Amino acid sequence: MSYDKPIPTQGTHTKPFWQGASEGKLMLPRCVDCNRVHWYPRHICPHCHSMNLEWIEGSGRGRIHTYAVQHLAFGVWAKEAPYVTAYIDLNEGDRMLTVLRGVDPEKPEDIKIGAPVVVEFEKANDDTYIPFWRVVEE
Amino acid sequence: MPGPLYKAAAIVGAAEANEIGFLKTPITALQLHIEAIKNLSEQTGVAISRIEGVFSTGWSTELCEHLGIKPKYIDTTSVGGCSFEMHVHHAMAAIHAGIIDIALVSHGENGHSANKIGGRGASNYARGAGALSPGVEMSMAYGLGSAPSNYAHAMVRHMHRYGTKREDYAHIAKVTRDWATLNPRAAMYSKEKHPFGGPITVEQVEESRVIAWPLTILHCCMVTDHGGAVLVTSPKVAASLNTKPVWLAGAGESMGHGNMLEMDDFTATSAGRSSQAAYTMAGLGPSDMEMALIYDSFTITAAITAEMLGLAAPGEGHTLWKDGHAAPGGKLPINTNGGGLSFNHSGMYGMPLLIEAYRQLSGTAEDGINGDTGKQTSARTCVVNGTGGSLSTTGTLVLVADD
Repeated sequence: MSYDKPIPTQGTHTKPFWQGASEGKLMLPRCVDCNRVHWYPRHICPHCHSMNLEWIEGSGRGRIHTYAVQHLAFGVWAKEAPYVTAYIDLNEGDRMLTVLRGVDPEKPEDIKIGAPVVVEFEKANDDTYIPFWRVVEE
Repeated sequence: MPGPLYKAAAIVGAAEANEIGFLKTPITALQLHIEAIKNLSEQTGVAISRIEGVFSTGWSTELCEHLGIKPKYIDTTSVGGCSFEMHVHHAMAAIHAGIIDIALVSHGENGHSANKIGGRGASNYARGAGALSPGVEMSMAYGLGSAPSNYAHAMVRHMHRYGTKREDYAHIAKVTRDWATLNPRAAMYSKEKHPFGGPITVEQVEESRVIAWPLTILHCCMVTDHGGAVLVTSPKVAASLNTKPVWLAGAGESMGHGNMLEMDDFTATSAGRSSQAAYTMAGLGPSDMEMALIYDSFTITAAITAEMLGLAAPGEGHTLWKDGHAAPGGKLPINTNGGGLSFNHSGMYGMPLLIEAYRQLSGTAEDGINGDTGKQTSARTCVVNGTGGSLSTTGTLVLVADD
């Protein structure tokens, strides 16, 4: 079945991320001067304001920072409800948003903040593989 | 004789994006902004982190978020091509008043490139307010949209950090409804006014329909119709009028982020900084406040904000309601109109906060139209805090009654 939910429209400076995603790699922007990773991708390091940025391949691992269960959703997502959304602390630093996999939305109390997660990519179209995160064993 | 703003401020540098004109490689408005700001910083030697006020046409929050700065003054006046001259005027006033010393006025507009990379939203970040950004690009796949879908994440983190239960926050909805039952203009005043109106219990709040767990519908504000306005004048004009003045003792503003993806701490908002500025200006502190009006988009918003305003210790905001202090007859009345939860919330609730603050401190909160017996408090001071976006931006006022 073709991917029927909203597909991100790609910016001009985020191409390396989407290129990596299509190869199963989680590419992250890092500042060459202060060495810190930031997310979302910027034109300037939000930490030290250097414009000397590079892309590195991330580990694809992180932990749940916080989450919620969406019961009232809109558009195509409505038929998926309830589903769990979460902010992920990346091992490299900073956070990503995701729809969390490997959890039961009917048992929200069983989801643990700090639980380890790994990234996986779902093909949305030929140019777009969307990262989703899945809860795994410690 | 020159006016009070005469030479109150100076332009000390001016720079542009690296390449301008008919660019062969399409460029986004965002990149044009950022390049110009970086070049300005290098020209003047003023680090971007020193910028205290940001003035831009409708896009200031986005710029600050991209730069990772948290300004004390945010202006998004967007009234056409003359906006930038107005921005400078507003910056002069802010600098003259001592609110800020360093103001950034920024412009980025890809009038040519937009034709190539899509002026219809899409990958064009962006021609103005509401347009797409890289933050949206990296969020839009994940089924969030409505306010509760975002705010629920803060509530879960707050509960995790402080060991609180959802029921603790349900007291906020219950007590706020109690206030609404004293206000005939409140949407939830009574069963006669609305089928779901009238008093509610903590159990009803807990058992109502789940919108975005842990938020049930009674933890969420309504979406209503509202119109309101306030008049602000000089003391001289105030003295000439028949209405009672309520004095603006302090004001402050700040922001943390635009997109929740950039929220550093899900249990705190910029109201810590904006209220500090307001208290300092007023020469008053949280313990001097005799009532509070807090934007209660959700119960969690009210709880966190009460903590940020210094009215309760971190993690204990909900106790103001649970222990009855915020309730009618309590020692620190909060949201005496019935709040966004039960009075009225059209989408941007900041104006109803101002109106109720005026009514309370001018002694007109209980004239039978604006409130029944028990709504008028004896408070002489009030802290007012509005929150915008996804716990993103805050404006705080400290008001005091006339002597």
